[in-house]
Amino acid sequence: MNAATDSKKSHAVLVMQIMSLAVFLLLWEWASKTKTIDPLFIGQPSKIFAYLYQSIFVDQSLLKEAAWTLSETAAAFILGSLAGIAFGLLFVLYEWLERFLDPLFSGLNSLPRIALAPLFLLWFGLGPTSKIALGFSLTFFIVLNNTVAGARSVDPDWIVLARMLGASKARIFFKVTLVSAVPTIFSGLRLGLIYALLGVIGGEIIASQHGLGQLLSLLANTFETNGVFAVLFFLAVLGMALSKLMSALEAYLLRWR
Amino acid sequence: MNLTERSASIDIENVNHLFLGGVRAVNDATLRIHAGEFVSLVGPSSCGKTTLLNLIAGLIELQDGRISVAGGAPRAGRNEVAYMLARDCLYPWRTALENVMLGGEFRGVPKAERMARARELLKHVGLGEFEDHFPKALSHGMRQRVALARTFSLDSPVMLMDEPFGALDAQTKLQLEDVLLDLWSAEKRTVLFITHDLNEAVTLSDRVIVMSPRPGRIIADIPIPLPRPRSVRALQKDPHYHEIYADVWSRLEEGLIQVGALPQ
Repeated sequence: MNAATDSKKSHAVLVMQIMSLAVFLLLWEWASKTKTIDPLFIGQPSKIFAYLYQSIFVDQSLLKEAAWTLSETAAAFILGSLAGIAFGLLFVLYEWLERFLDPLFSGLNSLPRIALAPLFLLWFGLGPTSKIALGFSLTFFIVLNNTVAGARSVDPDWIVLARMLGASKARIFFKVTLVSAVPTIFSGLRLGLIYALLGVIGGEIIASQHGLGQLLSLLANTFETNGVFAVLFFLAVLGMALSKLMSALEAYLLRWR
Repeated sequence: MNLTERSASIDIENVNHLFLGGVRAVNDATLRIHAGEFVSLVGPSSCGKTTLLNLIAGLIELQDGRISVAGGAPRAGRNEVAYMLARDCLYPWRTALENVMLGGEFRGVPKAERMARARELLKHVGLGEFEDHFPKALSHGMRQRVALARTFSLDSPVMLMDEPFGALDAQTKLQLEDVLLDLWSAEKRTVLFITHDLNEAVTLSDRVIVMSPRPGRIIADIPIPLPRPRSVRALQKDPHYHEIYADVWSRLEEGLIQVGALPQ
């Protein structure tokens, strides 16, 4: 009964959402077509969808660029997460290391990372490596901080129990401390993935030969507003899909919660 | 299980313990718990009961005096000593069965063996059908049953229990006491059981040891002459039990008055 009302309600919300979107798109199309607002600024929905259709299904240019961006994002995310978790665990094991590196890490983490882009371009060139470096620099600190926070917040009674049950220090670290930190590490990973994408796109916009960021910058510079909106739309969907993917993985791995 | 006096007794001689800042937690405690005995330690809160237990467990370093547990010095993680707290401390990422298997896993018991043992114990505490449940899906009482099974899983001759049922409601507590007595009579162990509940102490124990308020001193050692096996629920209605309870209570009162913790 309750579930039925709930599903009815969510149906009603969905209908409302679709109708609002349709009205919004129609208004947008009309404003653009009649030049009430200059289409150079807002594009035109029908042409945006035409661009999307063309670049996804016909010449697949959008997919090719997306493949560059996604592979760079994946590399930045995986390397950044692994390094973040490794350093996080080292910091928990050896507090002096954290104290020693703290000024450097705090400084780097406070730096607006996009400001490093020119340096990364100089070091790693125009290719994917400079974008991966930028994404890495964002993901790394997020995952690092979450790993440390998660491992530090382990319930002290769990540790006492493991000791009384005869666990060695290494066992306690891997089977209790590390496992109990997984939920916190995971929320870092989810955020880290989105930031890896941000870093890669940012790097591509600044200077690149490939990728969605480069495409976006090219389209904007040539006043192809419809193309810009199409890429933005594609990026939003991509970001949401990545987030959903992480959530699904999290829901499976952390089903005990 | 075969308990010998040497392998399962607890011997405490002239133990003193000072906390940082000079607070005296344990004052010249001497106590001998024989193999297979069920002994409760009662006393007002913060009287040093837990400190004494943790000294025996090896979780706190012994400063003064001598303690021998199961024929050896106290050390955390010995096979001979099991430990249980008021909090169930189940690992939420492990199922009930995996939680009971934890001790065996840490001590390198082969998987098939520790699984069979865990299954048997879960059945014994009445949770045979819940072995694949994660702790979040279990009630407080059920979680403490799992903890009880985990405590028994290692076949340690000595069990140290720090108010294991202290966080449960009255009904669940009675049930769990029965489960504990049942397990204990099936597999004899030496138990040192801390509680602030005199009822519980009398119901379960062979002897009740009374500690004074801080600095904790042992002020009474009272044998409980109730026959075994006991049923916790039947005892609640047994006049003999109430006589003994009243007797223990007056001796506790006497002890507390003597040390000035209660007015005359």
